[in-house]
Amino acid sequence: MVTATPSDRPRVALFVTCLVDLIRPRIGFASIAALEAAGCEVIVPEAQTCCGQPALNSGDRKTAEDLARRAIAVLEPYDHVVIPSGSCAATVRVHYPEILEHDAVWGPRATALAAKTYEVMAYLDEVRGWTPEGVALPVTATYHDSCSGLRELGIKRQPRRLLAAVDGLTLRPLDGAETCCGFGGTFCVKYPAISNAIVGEKAAAIDATGADLLLAGDLGCLMNMAGKLHRDGSPVRAFHAIELIAGMGDGPAIGEDA
Amino acid sequence: MSAPATAPTADTFDTRVAAALADRNLKLAVERTAGTAEAKRTLAVDAFPDFEAARDRAAAIKDHVVANLGHYLERFEANATAAGAKVHWARTAQEACDIVIGLCKAANAKSVARSKSMLGEEIGLPHALAEAGIVRIETDLAEHIIQLSGERPSHIIWPAMHKTREQVSALFKTSHRNPHVEESIAAMAESARRHLREGMLAADVGISGANFLVADTGAVCTVTNEGNAELSLVPPRMHIVTAGIEKIVPSTGHAVHMLRMLSRSATGAPLSQYTTFYTGPKRPGDRDGPEEMHIVLVDNGRTAMREDGLVEMLRCIRCGACMNHCVVFRQIGGHAYGGTYPGPMGAVLTPAFDGLKQSRDLPNACTLNGKCQEVCPVRIPLPTLLRGWREKSWREGLEPASLRSGLGAWAWFARRPRLYRAATAAALRSMRLMGRSGWLSKLPLAGGWTRYRDMPKPPAESFMAQYKKGRRA
Amino acid sequence: MNARDAILARLTGTATRAAIDGEAATLLIAPERPPVDPAALEDSFLARLAVPSVAATVDAVAGFADLPAAVARYCADQGLARSLCTPPDPRLEAGDWSGFDRHATAAPDEPVALAIARCGVAETGSLVFETAPEAPMLPNFLALHHIVVVPQVVAYLEDAVLAGTHPRAHYWVTGVSGTTDIEGTYVRGAHGPRFLHVIRLG
Repeated sequence: MVTATPSDRPRVALFVTCLVDLIRPRIGFASIAALEAAGCEVIVPEAQTCCGQPALNSGDRKTAEDLARRAIAVLEPYDHVVIPSGSCAATVRVHYPEILEHDAVWGPRATALAAKTYEVMAYLDEVRGWTPEGVALPVTATYHDSCSGLRELGIKRQPRRLLAAVDGLTLRPLDGAETCCGFGGTFCVKYPAISNAIVGEKAAAIDATGADLLLAGDLGCLMNMAGKLHRDGSPVRAFHAIELIAGMGDGPAIGEDA
Repeated sequence: MSAPATAPTADTFDTRVAAALADRNLKLAVERTAGTAEAKRTLAVDAFPDFEAARDRAAAIKDHVVANLGHYLERFEANATAAGAKVHWARTAQEACDIVIGLCKAANAKSVARSKSMLGEEIGLPHALAEAGIVRIETDLAEHIIQLSGERPSHIIWPAMHKTREQVSALFKTSHRNPHVEESIAAMAESARRHLREGMLAADVGISGANFLVADTGAVCTVTNEGNAELSLVPPRMHIVTAGIEKIVPSTGHAVHMLRMLSRSATGAPLSQYTTFYTGPKRPGDRDGPEEMHIVLVDNGRTAMREDGLVEMLRCIRCGACMNHCVVFRQIGGHAYGGTYPGPMGAVLTPAFDGLKQSRDLPNACTLNGKCQEVCPVRIPLPTLLRGWREKSWREGLEPASLRSGLGAWAWFARRPRLYRAATAAALRSMRLMGRSGWLSKLPLAGGWTRYRDMPKPPAESFMAQYKKGRRA
Repeated sequence: MNARDAILARLTGTATRAAIDGEAATLLIAPERPPVDPAALEDSFLARLAVPSVAATVDAVAGFADLPAAVARYCADQGLARSLCTPPDPRLEAGDWSGFDRHATAAPDEPVALAIARCGVAETGSLVFETAPEAPMLPNFLALHHIVVVPQVVAYLEDAVLAGTHPRAHYWVTGVSGTTDIEGTYVRGAHGPRFLHVIRLG
């Protein structure tokens, strides 16, 4: 991993992801705020749409490759690409080179893009060496490790290191933090009863921590867990961890802005 | 590719899942076995020096064998034959069963004692024995239980994990000659020990699988914790082994490494109670042992897997760690999968054995979370293999039309950024009409979601729309 | 084409035997395994025998001449008659077995069987056996009480592996027979012995 020196001002493309774009733009703005605080020049390429993960995971390889080429063309002109989602970042970093390996033109471009694409918290912590300053939120929270970020990108300590710098924030360990929440993209709507059984156990574990907030790095997982918690009458409120890190943890939680 | 099951599964994945999710006993049973195995494995792995390097080695050993499988099979055959065993080859499940039944008939066998073998289950051996009128004595306690209940295994290590003690007690009281009186598990196990002993020792033929086939020596290795394999395979005059061709290891030394990985991954134990290497039939002067030993090497789709992008699946040593750690398996148990093998490894293997059209739900009913790959002692990239089945399913047009058109529409817009913005803006406007508060509890076309969960109400404008208008924070 | 030819035809490879053997040998260099202190083999072995999953009781004698007394002690402790299945191993004749009913064939409900292991393994607490005319296999699995004489202890499972010609069966016994097949609850003595008694020799 290339570590930029803090005096650099890299041109960083924010790939905001479909779910953030359509369901919770605050995550996008929190990412911009944190990246700028970390000394980056943030650009949001207008032509971005979807990384193709739904097609990839449904087996529609042709569409996945198609969307990958488009995304590569949109994102490759920048120094770094930052994504506020472990699963979308993994799609670009891990899967784009895999699915385009056979393509003599786009394979190398996919590899080049992968090398400079990061999940947002990993980028801030490991590439920028940055921690938030002057951010305070005196609440308790618990952190769920989303599977793609954890297993495909090694995201585990970075969010916790960043959150540790939020004054007054106490992280309580989640029993089974690394256990899948049952979202799985289209899985949760194709096999809803199984998904419900899985997220039901996850929600019970979250409630058992007694924490005020649920945090994670993937909006799909958060929607799944928060949606279940809310349906079951739990008072736990959910945020994407980057929102707290960017000092926006005092705003409306998921499902609170009408 | 597989022979008919002992109990036909005419129902669908969805109906089996619904039944499983409604079964409180099943959930308790799964936590007691798979949940305990998860905890024990973690302890064993933490106590083992450099488990990650050990996994690399185990994967490399299996890859080396599979890459040179023809060579090793011939070497195994030569050494087993030199030790006095007879080696047979079977392309299909049917051929394998025909060989076994043929051997039993030639030996005039009225009964066979069986030690647990998932491969035997895969090729439909119980059914073939029944058809041939040969009495089948299952000596593994769990296999004995499911023989009494007429079921298939629900886990590859604990075939009867889905049964409660009350159910087992009832089965034993009906079927055992001298059943337990005290309602304790120890008493039940004692009843099975008594009931099975005589038949087991009097069987004409003993049939086993193989955990490993050792190429250098021609030995067949079995691993048990009950000692039933030895009691089934030593007394009869004929020992028949049915084993998948991928069970080969180069030498006993390689088997030792794999054995260290196997029991830790399966149950968390450093080693199982009984590890036996059988090399040929009894020797002159031996007081016990079979007169004849037959080893049936079974292909049944394994050479095809090597060619069809499933070669890593041939590393599998049947430890069961993947299913123990699978969030889907932990909710639905083993029978819901409907095939010989459940869990992640079953989701990869069943389409290969039974055809993708019939079993396409299995690779799809997975969140691709990757825990299975993380715990696999031989690093099988299970999510990648499952995604491969999804790709094949898509190419063959097996996915439902609603999914194809939904994804097709999504992709169409995703290729056209301006239209994407317009379409999603329209979608946001209509979704916002679905509810007053920040949450939506009902959503057309998303019943699967809202049946169980609320959906956060989307914003009035997308991120991209707001950004374009100049919002930055 | 017969099945053998059909299967092997799909498995052709170009590697030479030397290359294959070389690669196989490389894969066994310095295998990862639990550490055993070579200076503390006996203690490690005894510690493994004591873990609940192995659950062996232990005694020690100087030589084969002292075996009958050790077996008599065990039978007395367990409330067993002095009747046991013993293998036709000439080494046993160094002891005075008068007072014992010894027989070579084990009954299906044999109470006690004596056996002589080739060695014990400190890594796992395993007892290593090979079949031979003077070492039958069946009694070791039929008897309720299994008394095993252990003349030496090696460190690792690899050290227990034989070189050269293999007997009919080479087997490791690591603790008493057990099962968790009913509700995941552990019970001892599923089919094999419920009690394991190790007599360390020398």
